[in-house]
Amino acid sequence: MRFVAAAIVLGAVPFLGLPAFYESFLYLVFHWVVLATSWNILSGYSGYFSFGHAAFFGIGVYTTAVLAGKLDWPFLWTLPFAAAVPALVGVALGAIIFRVRALRGELFALLTLAVTFVVSTLVLNTPVDGGPGVMLSAVSIPKLAPTVSGTFYLLSLVLALATVAIAYAVYHSRFGTGLFAIHDDEAVAEVMGVPTYRFKLAAFALSCALAGVAGGIYGVFVSYVTVGETFSGFVALYVILMAALGGTRHWLGPALGAAALTTLLYVFTTSDYAVAGRAAMGLIFILVILFLPQGLLGRFAHRKALPRRNAPIPSAAPAAKNMESILVVRDLSKAFKGVQALSHVELEVRRGEILGLVGPNGSGKSTLINLVSGHYPVDGGSIRFEGRELVGEAPHRIARAGIARTYQIPRPFPHLTVLENVALPPMFGQVVMDRAAAEAEAWRWLEFTGLAGKALLQPQHLNLHQRKFLELARALASRPKLLFLDEVLSGLTPSEMNEAIRLIRAIRDQGATIVFVEHVMRAVMELTDRVVVLTYGKNIAAGAPGDVMRDPQVITAYLGAAHA
Amino acid sequence: MRFIWRAAALAAMTALLWSAHAQQPVRIGSTLALTGPLGSAGNIQKVAIEVYIDDLNSRGGLLGRKVEWVLKDDQSRPDLARTLYEQLATVDKVDLLMGPYGTASILSAMGVAQRYGKILIHNSFGTPRLAKYDMQFSASGGAGDPENVWPNLVFDAVATAPKPPKTVAIVTTKFPSAHSIALGAREVAKKRGLTEVLFLEYEFGNRDFGAIAARVKDAKPDFVFAGALGLDGVLLLDAMKKIDYQPPMHFYTFPAPGPMLKLPEAKNALALTTFEEHPPHTGNPQATQFIQGFRERAAKASLPSTSVDLLSTIAYASWQVLEAAVSGARSLDDKALAQWLRQSQVDTVMGRLSWQGTPEGPPNFVMGKDIYKVKQLQDGKWLVVWPKEFAAPGAKLIGP
Repeated sequence: MRFVAAAIVLGAVPFLGLPAFYESFLYLVFHWVVLATSWNILSGYSGYFSFGHAAFFGIGVYTTAVLAGKLDWPFLWTLPFAAAVPALVGVALGAIIFRVRALRGELFALLTLAVTFVVSTLVLNTPVDGGPGVMLSAVSIPKLAPTVSGTFYLLSLVLALATVAIAYAVYHSRFGTGLFAIHDDEAVAEVMGVPTYRFKLAAFALSCALAGVAGGIYGVFVSYVTVGETFSGFVALYVILMAALGGTRHWLGPALGAAALTTLLYVFTTSDYAVAGRAAMGLIFILVILFLPQGLLGRFAHRKALPRRNAPIPSAAPAAKNMESILVVRDLSKAFKGVQALSHVELEVRRGEILGLVGPNGSGKSTLINLVSGHYPVDGGSIRFEGRELVGEAPHRIARAGIARTYQIPRPFPHLTVLENVALPPMFGQVVMDRAAAEAEAWRWLEFTGLAGKALLQPQHLNLHQRKFLELARALASRPKLLFLDEVLSGLTPSEMNEAIRLIRAIRDQGATIVFVEHVMRAVMELTDRVVVLTYGKNIAAGAPGDVMRDPQVITAYLGAAHA
Repeated sequence: MRFIWRAAALAAMTALLWSAHAQQPVRIGSTLALTGPLGSAGNIQKVAIEVYIDDLNSRGGLLGRKVEWVLKDDQSRPDLARTLYEQLATVDKVDLLMGPYGTASILSAMGVAQRYGKILIHNSFGTPRLAKYDMQFSASGGAGDPENVWPNLVFDAVATAPKPPKTVAIVTTKFPSAHSIALGAREVAKKRGLTEVLFLEYEFGNRDFGAIAARVKDAKPDFVFAGALGLDGVLLLDAMKKIDYQPPMHFYTFPAPGPMLKLPEAKNALALTTFEEHPPHTGNPQATQFIQGFRERAAKASLPSTSVDLLSTIAYASWQVLEAAVSGARSLDDKALAQWLRQSQVDTVMGRLSWQGTPEGPPNFVMGKDIYKVKQLQDGKWLVVWPKEFAAPGAKLIGP
């Protein structure tokens, strides 16, 4: 409601008869709000730090420049194309870049910087510009307001409001949660069911499209566009600075930063302070990096959890223990640079059972989990889950099929709260929930694991025992059909271990099928229905825990052969 | 009796108001690129204009009122230039506008001036054909068709060399104004019967001239016409030196004058100018005042060079044009000033300017001729060598 009221008040500005300067100045503010916010949808939310925003902004500028300036299209008709062309270029680029796992961090930043050079070279050396620039002063401006400046003001206002509304909607949606998870740990996000590739592509397209429209309007605003000015480095630099100042992890942060910095830059346009203004900008940047690495809103405004809902959520019906196989692994092999981690492994997991997967360090237990969850590609063999072949499936599809896992060394999303960590899998698991339902489900599992009191903290405030339980809660929250627990007891004190065993029993009582990877034999003997033993990447024994532990091969694997 | 008292009171009030008005300064607004990529040029122009305004105010200002210059920094950004000119016109409500530095910013300012019916005198508009506004006036000294006039001037100059060139290599940045002049040079060279042995374009901001130097060397031209701006020329010469090549004759459109002076390889380089610190340009009180004033202020402002050059001269001249228009029209009315300029000539420190345009050219631009000269770097000094009447005493073009 407040948003609508603000929009109405701002929309009335051109009709108040104020000097045109105010419209022009506010145009600049909104222009930078759009650029900084659109940059943030990709780079702030998902952590794919782009130095190439000028490229997509510039494509938008030149799309309108060519259509309106050279082909005489009506100005407003060019704007959808100023959005579509950069979005398509972004998608085409992303389709390649996002498939390469190594292209994260600084490599992605450098690559996007290179894209700016490539695009500017193409524009400069083709009839799109060719060198002399494109003159747009003859483009007819639609009369949306009493003055020309008012028209640009209204166009930029609408775009800025739309951009901020989109940033807000994304921020609070499954999509946004997925992007924040990608930011923190992309591999884990994928295993939790986030379709990371599709999400990154969508964020990139959205980011490019919004920057492109801003470019289309800008071209006609300045009335003469040249390659040098359009693709200059300051666009990328300014948007990064603005977003960093306002806070990249908040939907409003970049808009706030853009408004503050544009105003500040304007204050320093008085000639006597021009150079001092530039120095002040540099100083602000340094101070922000040093003292406000999360930006203003990152420091002072946090994402609020929705009101806690305690309505009972129907839990998965206890699965009856039977002889039906839920997971069948046949002839599974995996090698890492010549080291055969798994060799022709066979495994069957029956619905409703707890299967212990044991073996000495390096025997391939974690590799097996990583293969089943799709974390690593399979070299050979077959993994069938409920009759469906999983080899070659993306990890998020495997998660959606109903397989969840924990990590031996906990890998929570460090910038999400404990509640958000646990609410993520239900949004992307086999039963897709919206954020409210997912948070309600998360509360349930936080209660179950005793972490409800820590729900609004970030994982860094948890001790190891609590982090292990967070892993558990996160895995359980997706209501998996099959749960892999990877050494959840390691590193725990005896009393913490007792609590964990009690918890796993409780999980079993709810009827989940569990593959329990563990070194702690007491827990294995107490909890499991059957045990499979791996050594050197091969399974050497399978059966009831008592029988397997007496197997001479197993004793040899653990204790070594007697030579005396 | 009462009537007389009332008339006297009214007259006194009017006189008071008039004197108060007369004491108010004439406020003239403009932006310059004081920071950003064009910052060095903008700061040179700022100093030159301050010299001029000091002198103007010491002479009583405009129409008996002191002049106040409302200067803002457009940060080399056309979008900001547009907004700042909106501010000057609608909030600061200055009496007159003057142009910013650089083609793109001037075009932005021109749009604002046109919307508010303000005259705009500018001095660095690189592509005259883009000017559509009939109250814009260039004080750069350039013609409406520099792509034709300047190459002809340069080829005229090199034709006076002992061995006039028969072949030419044209290399140019793709910066719009310099690029269009280089393209013009191709046409002019063809018409004059010179053989173009090489044509190369490079992107604005290019810093690696190794490959370009090698191509030029291989082409063995008699004359290198470089559409080069700023440090391009220095970098190109440096790259040529590394492959033991010295072009027989070489021209650079608008080089940074200082760095070239310090480069031995730049010996005999040619460039365009409007004014140099030697006779016949100097020797008159106005030029002396300008040169001295600029030296002092430039030193105080810590500019890299305290010598008057093209940038400072055109800035200074643009304000001379403004003063002449205000004095000539006896008005601050934009339309009256524009009308006066269209019908007049103004003698500036760099020569006589006029604005009698032709229907085929951009408004208020003279076509086919201008006041530019060709200078050459001889014995560590820039000396005008062409046209003869503006050449430094005893100087003539040195060539093979």
